[in-house]
Amino acid sequence: MKKNANDTDIQIAICGSAGDGTIAAGDILKRAMSLQGYKVIAFDLYPAEIRGFGKCISRIRISSGQTYSLKPQSDALVSLNDPHAIPHVVEVRDYGAVIYEDTPMARIPEGGHISAHVRPAQIPYGLGIRHISEQATGSARSRNIVVLGYMAGLLGMTRDVFHQTIGEKFKTKAPAVAEQNLKAFDAGYDLATRVFRLDTIEIKPPRHTKSGADAVMMTGNGAVVRGFLDAGIDNYFGYPITPATSIMERLTVEMPKTGGRVLQTEDEISAIAATIGAGYTGARTATATSGPGLALMAEMVGLGVMAEVPSVIVVSQRGGPSTGLPTKTEQSDLNMAVFGGAGDAQRIVLAPTNVEGCYKCAGKAFEIAEKFQTPVIVLLDLYLSNRYETVIPPKRNPFLRKPEKKIAVRNGNGAYKRFAATADHVSPRSVPGEPGLMHTVTGLEHNEMGRPSDLPEVHLAMSHKRHKKLKGALNLRGLTLCKRFGDEGEVDVGILGWGSTFGEILEAMYAAQSEGIRCSAMKVVMLSPLPIEQIAAFHDDCGEVLVPELNYEGQFAGLVSGELGRPVTRLSQVTGAPMRVEEILNEVRRLSGKQSPARKTKQQDTGDERALEAGLS
Amino acid sequence: MNEHLKPVYLEEKLDEIRADGHQDYRSKAIPTWCPGCGYYSMTEGFTMALNRLGIEPENTVVVSGIGCASRFPFFVNTYGFHTLHGRTLPVATGIKQANDALTVVAVGGDGDAFAIGAGHIPHAARRNVDITYLVFDNGIYGLTKGQASPTSAVGFKTPTTPYDNCDQPLNPLMMLLSYRASWVGQAYAGRPHHLADMIAEAMAHRGFSYLHILSPCVTFDKTDMTYANLDVGVRDLPGDHDRTDLLAAMAQVEAKEAPALGVFFEEGRPTLGDAMIETIRRAGGQAA
Repeated sequence: MKKNANDTDIQIAICGSAGDGTIAAGDILKRAMSLQGYKVIAFDLYPAEIRGFGKCISRIRISSGQTYSLKPQSDALVSLNDPHAIPHVVEVRDYGAVIYEDTPMARIPEGGHISAHVRPAQIPYGLGIRHISEQATGSARSRNIVVLGYMAGLLGMTRDVFHQTIGEKFKTKAPAVAEQNLKAFDAGYDLATRVFRLDTIEIKPPRHTKSGADAVMMTGNGAVVRGFLDAGIDNYFGYPITPATSIMERLTVEMPKTGGRVLQTEDEISAIAATIGAGYTGARTATATSGPGLALMAEMVGLGVMAEVPSVIVVSQRGGPSTGLPTKTEQSDLNMAVFGGAGDAQRIVLAPTNVEGCYKCAGKAFEIAEKFQTPVIVLLDLYLSNRYETVIPPKRNPFLRKPEKKIAVRNGNGAYKRFAATADHVSPRSVPGEPGLMHTVTGLEHNEMGRPSDLPEVHLAMSHKRHKKLKGALNLRGLTLCKRFGDEGEVDVGILGWGSTFGEILEAMYAAQSEGIRCSAMKVVMLSPLPIEQIAAFHDDCGEVLVPELNYEGQFAGLVSGELGRPVTRLSQVTGAPMRVEEILNEVRRLSGKQSPARKTKQQDTGDERALEAGLS
Repeated sequence: MNEHLKPVYLEEKLDEIRADGHQDYRSKAIPTWCPGCGYYSMTEGFTMALNRLGIEPENTVVVSGIGCASRFPFFVNTYGFHTLHGRTLPVATGIKQANDALTVVAVGGDGDAFAIGAGHIPHAARRNVDITYLVFDNGIYGLTKGQASPTSAVGFKTPTTPYDNCDQPLNPLMMLLSYRASWVGQAYAGRPHHLADMIAEAMAHRGFSYLHILSPCVTFDKTDMTYANLDVGVRDLPGDHDRTDLLAAMAQVEAKEAPALGVFFEEGRPTLGDAMIETIRRAGGQAA
């Protein structure tokens, strides 16, 4: 973020074992802070198993100004499970707090307790979390809320907002549940007022208190749902898969309220098949999946391209290949989204970079799919799907509810040509129910009538049509296809990015600027067709171009440098976690020739190699 | 005088066919099937059924997969979607869910339905999607020149079973009954008038109707499912068959060596569209 002396900018990490209520505590914290008008960015990491001993960690950044990603270092760490939390103690900054259980249930071997790992510059706060929970509520189940109250008290946060949020959170449960949790919260809060206050972590009133009422906390998936609903989605077909499932769950609740229909299909092939079937009737229809689901859908995407039927496919990427890392983030399905499937099946691919972008891309995808009569893939990843940001919903619905149809008119003589040649290569379309315009669409190559044909001139003309019509998408209005940030004109280093990583890229860019490096960044939202002219112009201005992304070999870097015919520097990382701002900043420093003193000895290291070393040691 | 010995005058017969109206449902495309293929009877039966039920061509969508049978939509004058191998039912489900007013007919061969697409059938049946599924069973892969299919008989010799087929053939009707499809029947391409009646009845059924149609491949099967063999092999369902009795239906389809023609099973229950409308009502919404 751009620094301002009066800003609040704190980050809190809560770490526990699956079932400890880690994510629930984080949820209350971010909602309470958002209600007060702070900007919140939050991201949870959790294991693929529902119960058991997997690690859960919820990181929440609370600020009064605009921020774009999580900070590399947290101001406070709350431990609900020491073995899981110990590796994260190093993430707490100097003079930051580590909050933990100081009366363990059983004997702990030397070094097994988190207090042994708190560094001298960090401030330890031990309390009997379990004991307090038992005293206040009669059970140890509210440990997460006790510690939440303690932290809120320690940082001087307002008690009332938390009460309101806790009441809201448990309103569907028995009244006693909310009551117990309120008691637990107060017990923790009151205790914190009796210990010495932390003056190194400051909470100041938010900059724009007015926006507090309008702002809502939303995840990327939540924003996709909002976008779909605002664009007037009629039908949804889906199959559960992490991290896309919450889209279907939310739509299943919301869509029937306005007459919409949701069907859980037997697999992803059926989901996209039904989506395309419904699209053929002129309905606004979507499906959502992750990489393994998109792999199953590849053949149907090709059918959508060939038969020129609109459809919208949201893909939230996770670690791969195969079943991969279902609950970890990665950006390794770009190649599949852009190229996957048989033959020359060019389609439109949009990759939003933040939660607001998810809303716009999801809603706009219908118009685009209808306008160009083709599948549109909206590419998210787990980090974007699941992270919370505060967004201010638009006052007016920005989407066209009525499709901008190019529907055929019945013409007295002469048969209807579904795939007629036109100036913009998009043919007037008719949908079932319209008399006199009957036709058959097919996955076979076909002539203007839609009849199967393998004549060389037909295949050439139709391939040309399918490719050329998409070029029109580069002139779309009402959606940012790519955008440049930071210094204008010639710069030392330009950072080119896509998807969720762009938040970290912006933070790194501002940090580099503050170090005196001339730096700018460009986000590319439309990955296919690629806005290559703007990217080339950006490349012209940059001494070096850095492309940070979360995949092994740099899929976007490959796409861009292939199209440009010019080199870029890759920064690729596959750890399952979002890229750290520091990693990008170090590369920017190296490329600009301005080394940070601490990093001089390790200048050739990429993040990957360091992570690999850490994993092997 | 015997009816068959009455002289037929071409002009009169053509006038009769034109006046009937079912030819309006045929497209101008010339079918690509071999002369003598059973699929011509299906086209004729389908157009007759639509004509008889008075369904407008613009309100009909024919969805097919891949294979000889799946070329069907090109030869009828309705809306059509020639999809992917095995994916007929999910595409048809999407069309029906998006627009209840359409009459949706799914068409495919035995390979399309019971090899690559078999996983979709139980789900269309259990959801009771209000569509009609016509499976043209010739026991062979015709479009790829005569390989064995899931309904090929044991001992059948084909390019992919040069030492005879040793796989037990599926019993499609038994599968459909056990999935509790709400209408299950069988017809034979060699009895075109009965076939037309059955298609009409299947389409008139409200819910998922499955019609299995035995149809010889005259080009690649000279020994097994031929007109000669089927003509003497098929039988009518017993006159006292109770079509509401699932177990009686199963007993009838178990006797595969003498395939029975007729309606095995029928029941009325809520369709997918009914379930959608009920869901919308529970959510407090207004159905479109």
